[in-house]
Amino acid sequence: MSQPLDSKDVSSELPQQPSRHILGGRHGKADSLDAMTGVARYTDDISLPRMLHAKILRSPHAHAEIVRIDVSAAEALDGVHAVVVGREMPTCYGVIPWTPDEQALATDKVRYVGDAVAAVAAISEEIANLACQLIEVEYKVLPALITPEAALQHPEIKIHPNNKHGNITKSVQLAFGDVDGQLEAADLVVEGHYQFHGTTHGALEPHCAVAYFDTRQLLTVWSSTQVPHYLHRELAKVLGLPTYQIRVIQPLVGGGFGGKSEPFDLEFAAALLSIRTGRPVKLLYTREEVFLAHRGRHPFDMNYRTGFSKDGKILAVDARSILDGGAYSSFGLVTTYYSGQLLGSPYAFDSYRFDSTRVYTNKPACGPKRGHGSVQPRFAMEVQLDKAAVALGLDPIELRRRNFIGENTTTINEFHVGSSGFLECLDSVEQASGWKQRRGRLPRGRGLGVAGSTYISGTNYCIYPTELPQSGVQICLDRSGRVRVFAGTSDIGQGSSTMLSVIAAEELGVEIDDVRVIAADSDLCPVDLGAYSSRITLMAGNACLSAAKDLGGKVRDAVAKSWGCSRREVLLAGRRAQRLDDPSVWMSIQDAFVLAEIAYGTMGSTGSYQTPRQEVHGEYRGGTIGASPAYSFTAHIAEVEVDEETGEIEILHVWCAHDCGKALSPVLVEGQIEGSVYMGAAEVVLEHHHVMDSGLKADGSQRDSGPGVEGLLAASSLLDYRMPTTLDTPQLHAMIVEKPDPRGPYGAKEAGEGPLHSAIPAIVNAIYDAIGVRIDQLPATPSKILAALRAQRSGNPL
Amino acid sequence: MDGRETPPHPGRQLELVEFTCNGEPAAVAVPSHWTLLEMLRYGLGLTGTKQGCDKGDCGTCTIILDGQPALACLTLALSARGRFVQTVEGLGVGGQPHPLQAAFARLGAAQCGFCTPGMLMSASAHIEDAVVQGFAVTAESVSQALAGNLCRCTGYTKIVQAVVEAAKEIARDSRAVDEAGMGSLADSDLSAAHQVGGRS
Amino acid sequence: MLRLPVFALHEPETLGQVLELLRIHQPSVGLFAGGTDLLPNIKLGQTYRAHWISLRRVEELHEITPFDGGLRLGASSGLATLATDPDLTAGWPALAQALDKIASPQIRNMATLGGNLCLDTRCRYINQSQMWRQALGGCLKSHGDQCHVVPGGKGCVAALSADSVAPLIAYGAEVDILGPSGLRRILVQDLYDSDGLHHVRCQPDEVLTAVVLPAPPATRHVRYRKWSVRKSIDFPLVSVAVRLDVDAQGLLSDGLIAVAALGPKPRVLPLGQLRGRVLDEQLAHDLGQMAFDRCRPLPNIPYDPAYRRERLAVEVRRAVRDMAGLPIKPLAARLALLGDQL
Repeated sequence: MSQPLDSKDVSSELPQQPSRHILGGRHGKADSLDAMTGVARYTDDISLPRMLHAKILRSPHAHAEIVRIDVSAAEALDGVHAVVVGREMPTCYGVIPWTPDEQALATDKVRYVGDAVAAVAAISEEIANLACQLIEVEYKVLPALITPEAALQHPEIKIHPNNKHGNITKSVQLAFGDVDGQLEAADLVVEGHYQFHGTTHGALEPHCAVAYFDTRQLLTVWSSTQVPHYLHRELAKVLGLPTYQIRVIQPLVGGGFGGKSEPFDLEFAAALLSIRTGRPVKLLYTREEVFLAHRGRHPFDMNYRTGFSKDGKILAVDARSILDGGAYSSFGLVTTYYSGQLLGSPYAFDSYRFDSTRVYTNKPACGPKRGHGSVQPRFAMEVQLDKAAVALGLDPIELRRRNFIGENTTTINEFHVGSSGFLECLDSVEQASGWKQRRGRLPRGRGLGVAGSTYISGTNYCIYPTELPQSGVQICLDRSGRVRVFAGTSDIGQGSSTMLSVIAAEELGVEIDDVRVIAADSDLCPVDLGAYSSRITLMAGNACLSAAKDLGGKVRDAVAKSWGCSRREVLLAGRRAQRLDDPSVWMSIQDAFVLAEIAYGTMGSTGSYQTPRQEVHGEYRGGTIGASPAYSFTAHIAEVEVDEETGEIEILHVWCAHDCGKALSPVLVEGQIEGSVYMGAAEVVLEHHHVMDSGLKADGSQRDSGPGVEGLLAASSLLDYRMPTTLDTPQLHAMIVEKPDPRGPYGAKEAGEGPLHSAIPAIVNAIYDAIGVRIDQLPATPSKILAALRAQRSGNPL
Repeated sequence: MDGRETPPHPGRQLELVEFTCNGEPAAVAVPSHWTLLEMLRYGLGLTGTKQGCDKGDCGTCTIILDGQPALACLTLALSARGRFVQTVEGLGVGGQPHPLQAAFARLGAAQCGFCTPGMLMSASAHIEDAVVQGFAVTAESVSQALAGNLCRCTGYTKIVQAVVEAAKEIARDSRAVDEAGMGSLADSDLSAAHQVGGRS
Repeated sequence: MLRLPVFALHEPETLGQVLELLRIHQPSVGLFAGGTDLLPNIKLGQTYRAHWISLRRVEELHEITPFDGGLRLGASSGLATLATDPDLTAGWPALAQALDKIASPQIRNMATLGGNLCLDTRCRYINQSQMWRQALGGCLKSHGDQCHVVPGGKGCVAALSADSVAPLIAYGAEVDILGPSGLRRILVQDLYDSDGLHHVRCQPDEVLTAVVLPAPPATRHVRYRKWSVRKSIDFPLVSVAVRLDVDAQGLLSDGLIAVAALGPKPRVLPLGQLRGRVLDEQLAHDLGQMAFDRCRPLPNIPYDPAYRRERLAVEVRRAVRDMAGLPIKPLAARLALLGDQL
């Protein structure tokens, strides 16, 4: 790929089209060798002169009022430089501007075990830890509400005293069409009660922030965040500084998955401690603190009724969901909408109603985990479809085909769907898994299951109301023959910087390695809203494409002028400018850039992206939430083996076909598919972010112990929170389907979150196929399988 | 002896640790309670070795100690005295990527890259074992060898594939070198540590 | 990250020096082998000593010595080394397999057999951060006076979680313990007490120096079965070894079931009364039932105790089937017959 820049080795095999030279090639991540040689800098790898280390004191109570805090002993400890408490930055913040209910450090109340109370900066982490133990906090303990049932039953015990409706953080009811009439008329109504348990992101890099308030009064914050722009805004708000006095830099991030997509206590604490001391301050979470920061998948309790005609057509969907939100709102307003709004495709139905209520509880706050808010309802929906297929005697794939919504159409909740490769996804997994030949012929204990899904490629509206672009990209090139891309985008491992390199290289005729991407530094880069909602490829990709086309046009103009032809006859590819009709006429791309720089002066251009505002969403209240410029589509087939003596499930294979519009970097898309499926599979059988409760049975079978355990994490380490090892991971088969969408750059749509969704119901449906029992309440533990088998034998299936 | 006394304030007393790091002599003054991970990251600035879980549950801090993959977060700095430590910074020679690094990059085996240094250490020791002991590196053997390294991004598929491919390449090169009579890969830095270190 | 507290590390080279250091630094002194279990516990503040004595440089603790068909394993023998040791895998395969299932490859490279035997007991109310345990209000093993596993309980019931214990008992292994008054040798079976705070019967001034495996009779069969949720990086939630001694006619002559991961002490069920039984599915079933009846897992380590109890019975059945030459997993049809007994 990388021939020397001044190579004179003439080749006549240059591509004829200005496009598709780099695009779609099997390249790896542009920058990945850095991580492999140890030179890549993650936030905790930053060390500044005279840097102090900070720690946060956390609440041991799930729910309590703070009566008094005495920090004098901590301040007096040798090596301690500053101690800060909540009243020094009491302003409430929240990633969603409508629901600011968090404080950097609690002032009056703590709302979960782990809520931040005070922070210490010292010459070492050890001394900061000791100092935290010397801080005296007097609490008045309040009753802890651990479950949504308890929180709803006790509106008088308000977790947030200023909240309007008891402990309800958000409630959404939307209805489309005549649900009751259609259910009445249906040949089959499937009813199900589903539970989805809490799970967390488990990124291997613990959250870390470094802050330095320098002598010019500029506050620089390096943070392992997915959303440097939102962090920038909230830092300004809470610290009372103008945004121009703050610089946010996101170094390489060691995984996010939604777990780093809002500001956390550590960034504010490090910043304030640096302001107090005038020295750089680093704050690194322990693994337990990562589990406490959480913002993971909401536990859902769901009741679904789905009506079908006898030929398998979905007539009505009626969904009721309770979302267990934890102590703060986080993205909860959006989660609550997503729990219903994202079910409108890939199937068409005549009537739809959902009623979703998110409740505060005294637990670590839930938020967005990969597939935000729509993984749980997708599980319920797809198991409902499987039950219907059984009841109607239809092949479950056929039932899904019959209900496919189509392309260039509108969902029942009025979202515009552009391209859709859903049918092709179903075909791919059907073929690859040998579904037709094998299903129904496997021995008892082994089974195949299918499911499908859809997801957004970014959201039409920004988190805060604005007419500003969602993404901006600036590109410079010069006489060196190289290209620099400046973008606010957050590469958290998904490869957004590679995506920008690919687009710039494609348009400007250079190789991927010739493009240097400078990303996520608020002083150097235009704003991008961040790595969430699967938005970057579509949005920053479009912005980059626009800037690159602009520059490419100028380069071609300059070259055309020297050749006396039109710009249309100039192709930029393979580090050359070349005449389209006569490949023997060419010059190096460096010479071409020089001509352009002579003709136009310093070469730079910007591109920005704003979402379409017409005909993409409904006009009703909430009709914009969940609306996306383009939707991805996915189908999964899972093969499982159930050991009926132990109840253990082994997931042998998962085939996943994903329509990402156009795979700009197929290797990276496959990586997103494989990682998504792995993560989804783990949620079915292994992972559980369980918070203990003394009052109720938890985990379906295991009662937690007596008083004192309320609000404690059952699994607060990577030993107890069991993420799969190599030996626990199924064989993953990733397949790419390409149905270009006119709204994506080169037709590209998302690939990072969609491929997780239907992995979960596909596995659960495969369990049914294997042993004939339904697991409607996740996780599918061996004890649940044994209980279900027992009930099956006794003739009273659960 | 109830083990419940309060630990003293961390003083400023340091002890000198001399050891071999990536084939070069290293001498670092560290507090006696530091782990090898702290000594590498804070004492030597070798931040390639990552910290993920605090206590031996994730494998991101895997280094090669006397020829064997070990966890730097569960090794005391003082106990590294006189021993051979290899970190990700020592992989690859003369600015050229090691075949493992090249395969990881080519096949997209690293996404966020945070588990990658530890993965590379476990993988390179496995390939070295295969060369020395003469067994074939397969997807199955790699899965076993990497079972102590968590990755949250990739689902391991491309990692296992990359290690198998790199092993093939190394075996090819090793045969080629043998045939040219220039000694085997067993003379590399890695196995030098293996031979000298002995068992612990 | 979690940091260690300040302590002094001693690295003696002879057992004499070890004993002397133990004597000098009482009471705040402890022994340090591979460190893979101890360092997490120290980091989490579960245990503290001002002095730790590393056994790593004591050469004689690394020796593996064959004798009269038996094997003496120095306490510092590494788990990975032992798991692939030709003598051990030939003569005591169930032990080698058990060691190969411990934790992760890196930890097996670091950890030692003696360290595994002396592994501290584990409990979901103990193996947590200092903040977590303070939030709980402590427990018998951690700055408190109540047990959360057995409400009202007066003794700590944290679980013996070492994989090596059950197979060592099954093989009739002994340990050498050296103290100021000399060397004593006891059965592994007798090494443990039912007090989760001090479950290893070693005095503070003693050191466990070796494991002694007697020559296995040709008629002896041992299988180890572990269940953990993951296939790597996990402690056992069920840990059981079954030994069947078989006479010339192929009938059971003696045997035992050794179970760990219950309370602080392993449970040993003798099988002498079943002399003369044929090795078949019925025996598998009966031994599974015996284990089920006589062992009651507690909610001390993760996972539903009722399931762990059932699972123990399954693992005993599978161990017996394996030794009887039957398929380990029964066919679905056969399972249906077993149905009501499951």
